[in-house]
Amino acid sequence: MRNRLRNPHTNLRPLSALLALVLLTLSPTGVLTQTPQIPAHPRELKYTTLTYTPPKRDQYRHVLSNGVVAYLVEDHDLPLVNVSILVRTGSYLDPAGKEGLAALTGTQMRVGGTTSKTAEEFDEAADFLAANIINLIGPTQGNANLNLLAKDVDQGLALYFDMTKASIDGITREDMIAFHQRYYQPAGFIFAVSGDFKTKDMLAKLETATKGWLVNKQAVPAVPKPTNTLVAGVYAVHKGDVNQGRVSIGHTGALRDSPDAYALEIMNDILGGGGFTSRITSRVRSDEGLAYSAGSNFGLGVYYPGNFRASFQSKNPTTSQAIDIVMEEINRLRTTKVTNEELETAKNSAIEVFPRIFATAAQVASTFAQDEYTKRPADYWTTYRDRIRAITADDVQRVAQKYLQPDKLVVLVVGNIDEISKGNPDKPQYSLAKIAKDGQIRRIPLPDPLTLIYPSTP
Amino acid sequence: MKKISISFLALLLCVQFAAAQKVPVQEIVLDNGMRLLLVPRKGDPNVAAGWVARVGSVNERPGITGLSHLFEHMMFKGTHAIGTKDIAENLKLIKEMDDVRAELRKEQQTLILKARLGEISDSKDPRHRSERHNELLAKFEELTKREKDLMVKDEFDRIYTTAGGSGMNAGTSNDFTVYFINVPANKLELWFWMESDRLRNPVFREFYSERDVVHEERRLRTDSTPTGKFNEQYESMFWQSSPYGWPVVGWPSDLEGITREEALDYFAINYAPNNLTACLVGDVDPARAKELAQQYFGRLPRGPRPPEPVRTSEMPQLAEKRMVAWAETVPQARVRYHTVAEGHPDDFALEILGSLLSGRTGRLYKSLVLQQSVANSAGAGQDGRKYEGLFELTGVAKPGKTPEEVEQALYKEIERMQKELVDANELQKVKNQYAANNFRGIQSNFGLMVQLLLRDSNRGWETINTDPARHQAVTPEDVRRVANTYFKPENRTIAIYYTKKKADGAVEDPALAGLTDQEKAQIAQMKGTLSQAKAEQIKMMLSRFEQEAGSAPPDKQNFIKVVKKMLEDRLKQLEGGKQ
Repeated sequence: MRNRLRNPHTNLRPLSALLALVLLTLSPTGVLTQTPQIPAHPRELKYTTLTYTPPKRDQYRHVLSNGVVAYLVEDHDLPLVNVSILVRTGSYLDPAGKEGLAALTGTQMRVGGTTSKTAEEFDEAADFLAANIINLIGPTQGNANLNLLAKDVDQGLALYFDMTKASIDGITREDMIAFHQRYYQPAGFIFAVSGDFKTKDMLAKLETATKGWLVNKQAVPAVPKPTNTLVAGVYAVHKGDVNQGRVSIGHTGALRDSPDAYALEIMNDILGGGGFTSRITSRVRSDEGLAYSAGSNFGLGVYYPGNFRASFQSKNPTTSQAIDIVMEEINRLRTTKVTNEELETAKNSAIEVFPRIFATAAQVASTFAQDEYTKRPADYWTTYRDRIRAITADDVQRVAQKYLQPDKLVVLVVGNIDEISKGNPDKPQYSLAKIAKDGQIRRIPLPDPLTLIYPSTP
Repeated sequence: MKKISISFLALLLCVQFAAAQKVPVQEIVLDNGMRLLLVPRKGDPNVAAGWVARVGSVNERPGITGLSHLFEHMMFKGTHAIGTKDIAENLKLIKEMDDVRAELRKEQQTLILKARLGEISDSKDPRHRSERHNELLAKFEELTKREKDLMVKDEFDRIYTTAGGSGMNAGTSNDFTVYFINVPANKLELWFWMESDRLRNPVFREFYSERDVVHEERRLRTDSTPTGKFNEQYESMFWQSSPYGWPVVGWPSDLEGITREEALDYFAINYAPNNLTACLVGDVDPARAKELAQQYFGRLPRGPRPPEPVRTSEMPQLAEKRMVAWAETVPQARVRYHTVAEGHPDDFALEILGSLLSGRTGRLYKSLVLQQSVANSAGAGQDGRKYEGLFELTGVAKPGKTPEEVEQALYKEIERMQKELVDANELQKVKNQYAANNFRGIQSNFGLMVQLLLRDSNRGWETINTDPARHQAVTPEDVRRVANTYFKPENRTIAIYYTKKKADGAVEDPALAGLTDQEKAQIAQMKGTLSQAKAEQIKMMLSRFEQEAGSAPPDKQNFIKVVKKMLEDRLKQLEGGKQ
């Protein structure tokens, strides 16, 4: 049975080649002599050179008469328009004791109605226009977004600016009103607009919309540095009814504008960020079949260092083994140089994928607006590929030694800790207790999933 | 009168848009039956590339459930040319491994039989394995190691990644399996090389460890999520005879038993070129793509026989079915009706009906959330699949309301749909959204590529240009008619979810659904304290509680009842443990 199946399989090659030959001679366009040989391996394929120049920021940058910056990128393929405002605000500005105010203000602006429309009227108007309107305030940025058909752009913009400018009615709490007034003003805006419009017309619309808008000269405070410190060790949250351990392993990352950022990007790609070709995925998933998804991310923060985090999920008996593999791979990057093949795969990938950053008009507009908001160096994209090309295996090892700190790793395991602790009888060398260098597993209680209230500690 | 004229104008505009959406697809059919769809577009120098096999879990049978999905994983394991240092040796090893596996299967079947007859409690417990069984396992482990030594690890991925391929992945559903990637424009030939190679000479390496990966995926998505296991059972309860009743990821017993031979059999029929469509969207030269398609895909031989459509259709449902579950989730109700497959004329009216009910300005939100305050959220939608279809309504109960109250409120809205015609303006709003969403859905090259493939795997890619008009043509009468045709009590299946408190695995009394969030939190905290308390302490608490219960305000009585029961249960548990 097996033989019967595998034989035709191995015979496929000559058979199908013959078939292709017959088909080519029969088809009117198929002239055999013009058919190039199919190489035995893709490394023998020849490619034409692809030169790509990233778009220039200044080409799309406009300044309104009140000083507000707007990036406008036309795209007439489809009759859609997308308008975004990046607002200099964030939940870091929540006053002490009023945590959540920024996020709540962001949501309330969208769902709370405006001075001229009740919440329901606003929703009806937006839905009838098939306009998607979103307003959110994140940790270090506010975003107001409008997406709709180009034919409805004036009505949509009216609703959108009504929400952004004057949605006071819906905000009943004094705190929210104060928060909104302080930060939602053109001095803190950067526009990113793309789609089916004429740049000149759109600029005029933005001028009109922001004209006479109250301008508060008070500067927005800078994002503060976080003050908490990580305590290394193994932390465990017991959840008795699941059959997998979910694990995060990590510590503090680095700053986005650090000169080491490029090498860190490559390092993480090799460690666990590059999908199946990266070490963690390859060992935990494809070698051992211990997890469905396994990988890592090295967070590069704009205002403060991001988080380095490797994560996976594995069935209870093999959770400890998988943790061990990840720890081993973190260590190995420090002690041993990456292979040339790994380095080239990661570098080539970064360079070849680069044009995707500017794949659509919306991406061009938002990338440049975001760069301006976060004060990224103007030559960042023009020098990016050369900086990646320059990275060596020594660079990767150097940043691994500097930024990966096995002694500082925090290991968090969520799952049936009793079962996970039992480990795998076939592989007793792996255990949660051994992973904790101090032998201590710090238990964290599981909050109620519906109220998020922690049980009183026993 | 005025209203009508506005709607009429809007309708005209929409018709204009519907007509305007004409995705210019160039279709090439190769002599072996494989289709290639091309949409050249300007933008960055990149091509969204993919292909679909018209096969999914609906084409499986008991015993091999989950094979379509497992197969999708195996397609990344390399070929004769990719992924090995020595193909001849590799194939020899694979045969040896399969032989050992066949022997192992016999051992496993013996254990399964023993477990069935109650001679052993767990067929997977290693203590019950025979000596021969252990020998075979050791042999298999050794062969696995030898296979690994022969492998060029993840070469398939590495070739694409190094060449700038991005977003490579694949997906399996009930009806189709799709494979996709973005490649730089100058690497188009690489895509043809790689995809035609794995369709021609795949080698299912690491077959058995990949089965374990899929099992982890099942644990991740189904077993470890609050409602995953229940949703799976609900799905199986809803379909009686249709193969939609088993999960795409497969039943665990099948996952553990599927063999490589079964995978190869399946491949020969379902991955033959006459069952495939490929699609390229982006920076692509059609003439060059056509040439490459003939050169590379043209070499794939037609399948030994054409794949057959699924034979087993769903039996008409005769009586209401109901599932009541206690899960770690908010109290909620799901109501499903059997409807029609994708593309049936009523499919469009049912989709429109679903949209009328959903969203912040939809009827369910307005009625159940805002007016009646019975639900926190609610929605509805038609899910037309290739062979069958269903319409589902869901609602999450507000604290203090029961899922059954939500269920009844959903029926009220259905009744309205059955009795009254929808307002022209309301219908127009939904149609405007369909018109705008049609454009949004084809904005990215990748999105358009996937959409064309999925459409072509069922009714043909042309539906991307013809479906919009069918949505716009739905009338208020159509909506009322389909509501009356399908929404009948005997045609529905209901799932009711109550919240199960997970701290100690105790099932929450349905009465808890009537408590406020604050009271629930108090109870959760009390449970923590209780777990530490001794029987004597609990007895004291109980007697004090009973004394005070009489003087508590009426709106607290429910809460008191629940607390009292909790104390009693814990006491029983403690005293029971003593025996």
